[in-house]
This record gives sequence, structure tokens and C-alpha cells, in this order.
Amino acid sequence: MALVRPRLNDFYDLPFSQEQVSFAIPLLDEDLPLYVDPFLLWKSPSQQDNSLHAQIVNSFNYLGSLFLKDRKEDAINLLIKLSECDEVGLGNSRSRKGLKIGPKIAAEILSLFQDIPQVQKSGFTHFEEVQLLVEGVAQDRISDIACNLLMSFLVDYTIDECKRWSIPTARVKVDIYNCKSNQFVSETVDLPVNPETNSSVVLVPKRWLRFVSWINFSDFQEHYFAKHADTERFRDRVAILNYNRKNYGVVQAYVTMRESARNDCSNDPLFRPIPIISMKRKTQSLAALKTGKTDNADKEYERLIAPVLASAVYPELDFASTQSRTISNVLIRDLIFYNNRACDITIDLYKLYESKQIVMEMKNVAVLNNDHIDQLNRYMKEEFGRFGVILTRKVPPKAVYKNTIDLWSGQRRCILILTDDDIKLMGQLYESKQRLPIEVLKKKYIEFSRDCPG
Amino acid sequence: MKKKDVERFEKVSGQLERVYEEITSLSKKSPNDGVNKFKLRLVNKVLEAANSLLDNKYKPFDDFSVFDEDTLPSNSDVAFILAQYLNCMENLRAENIQQKDYSVQWYWVIDGETSSEKTTPPKKLGRR
Repeated sequence: MALVRPRLNDFYDLPFSQEQVSFAIPLLDEDLPLYVDPFLLWKSPSQQDNSLHAQIVNSFNYLGSLFLKDRKEDAINLLIKLSECDEVGLGNSRSRKGLKIGPKIAAEILSLFQDIPQVQKSGFTHFEEVQLLVEGVAQDRISDIACNLLMSFLVDYTIDECKRWSIPTARVKVDIYNCKSNQFVSETVDLPVNPETNSSVVLVPKRWLRFVSWINFSDFQEHYFAKHADTERFRDRVAILNYNRKNYGVVQAYVTMRESARNDCSNDPLFRPIPIISMKRKTQSLAALKTGKTDNADKEYERLIAPVLASAVYPELDFASTQSRTISNVLIRDLIFYNNRACDITIDLYKLYESKQIVMEMKNVAVLNNDHIDQLNRYMKEEFGRFGVILTRKVPPKAVYKNTIDLWSGQRRCILILTDDDIKLMGQLYESKQRLPIEVLKKKYIEFSRDCPG
Repeated sequence: MKKKDVERFEKVSGQLERVYEEITSLSKKSPNDGVNKFKLRLVNKVLEAANSLLDNKYKPFDDFSVFDEDTLPSNSDVAFILAQYLNCMENLRAENIQQKDYSVQWYWVIDGETSSEKTTPPKKLGRR
């Protein structure tokens, strides 16, 4: 059994959490659903980021000048090559592999430099505007083009971060866009490698990432175009894009509006804990929830408990995923956490039970029985080590608790049982901030250890 | 009791009362909330000092000395224990104070003699 949603550091067994590092920890088998937003570089107080933004825009505008100088073929080929950046692993791909744009879209993008007089004269200041002018270009494409144009910086950044966090690297060949010669140059550098695909991995600073880019089509359509144009005439996206190309002033006005609202633009964290009020509501709803499957109570339990747990134990444990499995025709839902070894209890779980990931099984049952313990026990192997948690509603019968003690005595396996009261306490600590909610897990572990023989 | 024990007693009982007041007010607001580590460490210091004054005869529970930070005691747990300690401290004091010749003033008994160190009357007069 492999790790669930493995990250680069999990594979190399490096104990750092997402909170501790300045880059987005890449997933090994899928993309992170985030994008590099060039606007964040533009609005950054850092001069370095500002100059990197200028470099992106200059390089992009250079493609336009090539296109205008009758070197259309060169410009199109360069843009096609810039349009996909697999090394950074950002976007929606389930396989960390994306597709480049075709020559038709590339030509359409570059023809903006010909068709729009303002762009022809001064180029773009925010090349994200292309999303508002060409069909088939969205934030993932903008992000990939930006990453490729910044590849030289990103490679240096990755090398630095790998040294700082002791991430193993290998000598690999990478095509890096050279902003002086405006060409791709193949360079041999030391980068981390995806152990599953052997492809190189480039790290991206968290401060550049957003789920949705600040300048985007949906926002333009909803918050600007709908107010300033006859929406009846422009019902579909293509019609709006055509309109924008012929009325570039609209796009410029929208971008000016977004620029003036730049103070509201900030990077998105990879995981955002739920607000305290939401935690309070969810723990209160939990108390009123029935056990069993009546009125889909089991699904509601899972819906409530997943965000509560994921937020309560953050940042000590990073939430990996929910997972479903079927045993004896029973659907079992688990919460999986990465064990970052960020606090004493999680260090102990790693050392004593070899838990690289922590599995928490959700059981919305009135009475926990030994079958439930056995189901989790059978599942606790390899990456989960010999530690697991059952989340259930009520205190288990003594015989069931004794079964968990016996499991420890016989096989040194630890199954903790957290009830509604424990979740409520976690919620209370989350609100009051007097102690860390994960200390509830530690408390349960200490109570369990004291009941174990020897 | 010796003079230095009386001085320690006065200090510790004063601390216990103030801590009890603080924790009780927190306990009324949110009884099940955890007590933070900083407060708990200070509560434990006061309890350790109280334990050194109260021998086994006066200690409220023979299997309790101080709070374990890792077991996450709640405000009401701490308030409950502090109330027990305050009561036991008062029992110890009541055993070691006296009035002089029909005077209303109470004094500490130091080295078996009624001293001139004044104190308040016992809180539970009926128990003497």
C-alpha cells in the first residue's frame, strides 16, 4: 500500500509541514490546484517580485514584437513551448502532465499585438488580460507561461530550498527560458526528482499562488461587463471576447479597477482552517445528530467531522484526503493526515508506531463493537504504521476498550477512540486558544498508555 | 507550627485564594475549556508549596499532588481541586490558632505557645 496523496517530503521522509516552508509542497501523482498569479508579483512589496513581473511582461511582449516583425513562426513556436510547465505541478491535472497549446491558439494570442492598437503600441502591462481576449486561455495557461518565463529564478529558488530542507536532488537537464537571448537553453542543474516519473520538480513560492487569478474572465463578466454592457447582446463567452478585442478600453478599465483593489488581493494558503464560528456550529450540530444511517446521518456526520478535524489539528497535521474503502459490503470512510512530526505526540507516533500518515476512521454508530476495531486494525499497515483513530459518537463499551488494550499488549498496535466529547473539547480549545486542539489526541494517548499493562 | 511555617502558610494560602478566584471566574464562563500551560504551571507551583505544608493528614487526596499538563485539565477540574486545597489549608490553620484569655482576637500557636502573630477566626467555628 502506498502513501495517500504523497507529497515530495513524504516520499523522502522529511519532517516539515506546509506551514513551515515558504514553497508549496508538490504532490507526486497529481497537480496542486493552485496557480501562479502574476498580479501577486506586480502588487508585491518586494522589489524582487516586481522586477520578476516586469521580466515576465517584457518577455511576453517580446513575443509580440517578434510576431510583428514577420518572425511569426518563431514567436508561435516559442509561445507553444512556454504554454506548459510540468515541472511546477500546478493546475488540475490528475497526472502531473499537461498539454501545450496548439499553433492556432498561439497565433490567436499573438495576433492581439497586431489587432489591438494599444497593445501594438505599448504591449501588455498585465498579460493575464489575454484570458479576456482569447478563447481557450485560462489561468492555468497564464500560470504555466509565467512559470516558464521565470524558470531561471525558480530553479535557483528550488536549489536553495532543497539545501535548506535537505531535499535530495539529482542532476537533470531542464529547458530554461533565457530572458536575454529570449530562447530556451538546455541546462544541467540539481533538482529534486519525482520518484514515480523520474521527471524534475521545481518548487514555487507560496506567496505567488492563488486558487483563482485576480484578473480572470468570470470576475470580469460578473463584476464589470454585466454592469457596463448590454448583457442581452453578449450572452456567450466568445461574443464577449470578440467585443473585448474590438473595445480594448473596456479591458483596460477593468484592469485599472482591479489594480485599485490590489490591497484585497492576497495569496491563498493551501489549506484554510474553518472560522471559529463555523467550528462552533459544526460541533453543536454534531451533538444534535442521530447515530446510524437514519436520514443520512452517517453522511452528515462525515460532512461535519472532516472539516472540524482537519482544521483542529492544523498545522500540526496536514490534511491529506478523505478516502473510501469497502470491507464486507460496508463502506468505510477515513480521514488521512500527513504526519509532519511537528509536535511531541506526532513524533512519538512516528517513532513508536511508524506512522507516516495517520488514518482516522469515521463511525457514526450508537455502540462501537469489536468488528469496528478489527476493520481498522486490518487496515493499519505500511504507511499508516501501527496507529489509528476511530471517531465515534459515544464512549465505547468496556469490552471494546479492553480489546484495544489487548491489541497493544499483543501486537503493540494502538487504536485510539475519540468521541463527540473529545471533538467538542477540540472545538472549545480551537475557539479559546488556551491549548492546542491536537493535545486532546495526546491526552487520549496518555490515558490509553496508562491503561496498558507494564 | 514554626514561625517560618506560619509565614509560608500566609503566603501560600493567599496565592491559593487568588488563583482560585481567577480560575473560578474562568470556570463559570467555560467550565470545560482547557487551562493554558502557563497558568497550569503556576497553579502547580502553588499546589507544590501547599503540599509541603499539608502533610498526609491534611492533604485532600492521597493520590493527587499536582496537575499533569498532558491530561488537559479543564477550568472546572482546577477550580474543584483548588477548593479542596483551600478547605484543607483552613483545617490546618484552625488546628494551629487560639484566642488569648477570652479576647476576640485569634493568634497563631507557634512552637506550642500562643504567639503574638494575629490571625482571623476559623471559618468553621463549629468544627473546633
